[in-house]
Amino acid sequence: MTPVIEVEHLKKYFTTPRGLLHAVDDVTFTIEKGKTLGVVGESGCGKSTLGRTIIHLHESTDGVVKLNGEQVNHLSGNALKKAREKMQIIFQDPYSSIDPRKTAEQTIMEPLIVSKKFKKSEIEEKTDELMALVGIDERLRRAYPHELDGGRRQRVGIARALALNPEFVVCDEPVSALDVSIQAQVLNLLKKLQMDKGLTYMFVTHDMSVVRHISDDICVMYLGQVVEKCPSRELFKNPLHPYTQALLSAIPSVDIHNQTERMILKGELTSPINPKPGCRFAARCPYAKDACHQAQQQEEVSPGHFVTCCRVHEL
Amino acid sequence: MSNNQEFLEVKNLVVEYKSDGQIVHAVNGVNLKLGKGRTLGLVGETGAGKTTIAKSILRILPDVGCKIRGGEVHLDGKDLLKISENEMRKIRGNNISMIFQDPMTALNPVMRVGDQIAEVVRLHNDGHYDPRKRAEEMLEIVGIPAERYMEYPHQFSGGMKQRVVIAIALACNPDLLLADEPTTALDVTIQAQVLDLIKDLREKYNTAMLLITHDMGVVAQVCDEVAVIYAGTIVEYGTKEQIFDHPTHPYTIGLFGAIPDMNEDEEWLHPIDGLPPDPTNLPKGCPFAPRCKYATAECEKGPIQTYKTADGHDCACCHIADVVKGGK
Repeated sequence: MTPVIEVEHLKKYFTTPRGLLHAVDDVTFTIEKGKTLGVVGESGCGKSTLGRTIIHLHESTDGVVKLNGEQVNHLSGNALKKAREKMQIIFQDPYSSIDPRKTAEQTIMEPLIVSKKFKKSEIEEKTDELMALVGIDERLRRAYPHELDGGRRQRVGIARALALNPEFVVCDEPVSALDVSIQAQVLNLLKKLQMDKGLTYMFVTHDMSVVRHISDDICVMYLGQVVEKCPSRELFKNPLHPYTQALLSAIPSVDIHNQTERMILKGELTSPINPKPGCRFAARCPYAKDACHQAQQQEEVSPGHFVTCCRVHEL
Repeated sequence: MSNNQEFLEVKNLVVEYKSDGQIVHAVNGVNLKLGKGRTLGLVGETGAGKTTIAKSILRILPDVGCKIRGGEVHLDGKDLLKISENEMRKIRGNNISMIFQDPMTALNPVMRVGDQIAEVVRLHNDGHYDPRKRAEEMLEIVGIPAERYMEYPHQFSGGMKQRVVIAIALACNPDLLLADEPTTALDVTIQAQVLDLIKDLREKYNTAMLLITHDMGVVAQVCDEVAVIYAGTIVEYGTKEQIFDHPTHPYTIGLFGAIPDMNEDEEWLHPIDGLPPDPTNLPKGCPFAPRCKYATAECEKGPIQTYKTADGHDCACCHIADVVKGGK
C-alpha cells in the first residue's frame, strides 16, 4: 500500500540578513495510513517548520512531498486547495490560533463554508456532529474563546482541523500549553479519533513522555536534520545517537528511587544560519572527533533504525 | 516534616483578587514551613495559587485589586506582613529573592545584562560587595564569560537569559530563594543544566528554596518536601518520599496517573475528569469534590480538615481510608 505521506529530501531555507537559515535540511521519511510519526527536538530545531512545509503553509525550497503517492508541494491555486482538504493542522497554542471574535460554532463551521461543498443545512448538521465528536457541550455552541478553558479551546481547534475529513493531520505541540490532567484528556481524544477515522498523524512535540505514548515511529531532529529515526519503543530502549541519549537522560524522572546519572550537555544550540558541513551536534557532543566535521551519512543500523552518526558503531 | 527551627513559616495565608466586581479566592488558608538549606516543592496546575503565594511572601502583589486577607509570613521569626515597606525593601533581594518564570520578560531589554546584576547588588547589599566585580563574578558562577557583561538580553539565548535571572536572584546570597517555574520556558537539555546549577549554588550557600512547578519530574529531582496545591488549598503535604511513594489525596493520585508512563506501554491515559473549580465560586467543602471518585455528601458540607496518613504526612481528605484501600 502507498504510504499516506512520503517526504523525500525536503529542504526549507529562509533568507535572513545574516545568510541562509537551514530550518529543514534534507529530511526523508514516510508515514503509513493510520500511523503516527512523532517528531521531537528542542526549540529551534525545525520541527514545526517541517510540519508546516509538508502541508504547504511554507513553500518548500527543495525536495518532494507526496500525499497518497501524488506530489503536492508544487501545487497552487485550486489544486492546492483541494489537496489541503486532505491535510490539516492542529496548532500549539489554542489561545492564539483561534479567532477571538468567532464563537466555537463559527470557528468549526468556517472550513465547511470555505469549501463550498455543503448546503446550509448540511453545514449545521456537520457542525453538530463535529462538536459531539470532540466532546464540546451543546451549551458552548455560542461561547467565545475567552469563555473557554485551554482544553476546550484545543477541542475547538481539533474540530476545525477535522471538519473536512482530512487523511493527514499535523499536530504541532497540541498539548504543550495544557495542564497534565487536561493534557491526558486531549491525548486520549486524539488517539480515539485516529482509531475511529483511520487518521494519519505527524505529532510534533518536545515532550518525550507524550511522544512515547502517542507515536509508532519517532524522528529526532537537531538543527534541521534528522539524527535518528526508529520505532518508538526501540528509541527509548536503545537510543544510539549521542544527542538522543542526552535528550532522554535530561528528562526529569518521577521515579525518585531510580535517579540515574544524567548526561549534562555543555553549550547550547549553534546557529542554523550558514551551517558548516558535518554533524551539527559535534560542538556539544562528548564523543566528537575530526571525522564528525565532515558530511554525515544516514545509516540503517538495524532494520528500521536509522542513525546519522559516523561513530555509531564505536560507541 | 522536620521540627527543628523553621526558617520560613507561612500561616493560614488568605489572598483575594477583585475582578469584574467578583472576588477571586486565589489562596485560601495556606500553611507552609521551610527549614534552612531545604527545598520545598509547591506543585499544582495553572491558577492553583502557586505564584500568588510566592508574591505574597515577597509582598509584591499588585496594589490594586488584590488583598492579603489574613495570615502570617514569618521569616526567621519576623512577620513580613507586619513590617513597613521600607524594612521590606531591605529584605527583598538581600534575604529573599525570586527567580521569575519567563526569562524573556524578566530582564530589561535596553539595559546591559551585567548592569542588571550590578543594580541588585548596589540597591540591596549595603556596600558589602563592589557591584561591578560582583556582577562579573556572578556571570562566571552561572557559566557565562564575564566578557559578556556589556551585552544586551537579545544577544543571549533563552537558557543564558534564565541564567542571568538566576545570577540576579543569587547575587546577594539570599537566605531564601523563591523559584517560580525556573525551567518551564527552557528545553530539557538546558533545563538539566539550569537545575544542576541551582542545586550546586544552593548547596554552596545553604539557601532555602521554595520551588514552584507543575512538573513532577523536576520535583523528584530537586525537592526535599512537597506541597500539592489545588484551588488555593494545600491538599497534601509531606516529604518527597512520602508523597511519591504513598500519594494519598485523590488529586495527587490523579496527577501522577495523568502523566504518560515512560517505562510502560498503556493504550489510554488516565485524565482527571472535569475542570478545576471557578475561583470566584468555590465549592463550600472540598474544592476537588466535584471531580473526585470518592466524594460523598460529607465532602461538600464544609471545609475539610487535614488528617495524618499512615506514614505521617498531611492530607486534606475525609476519605483517606477508602483511598488507601483503593479500588476506584
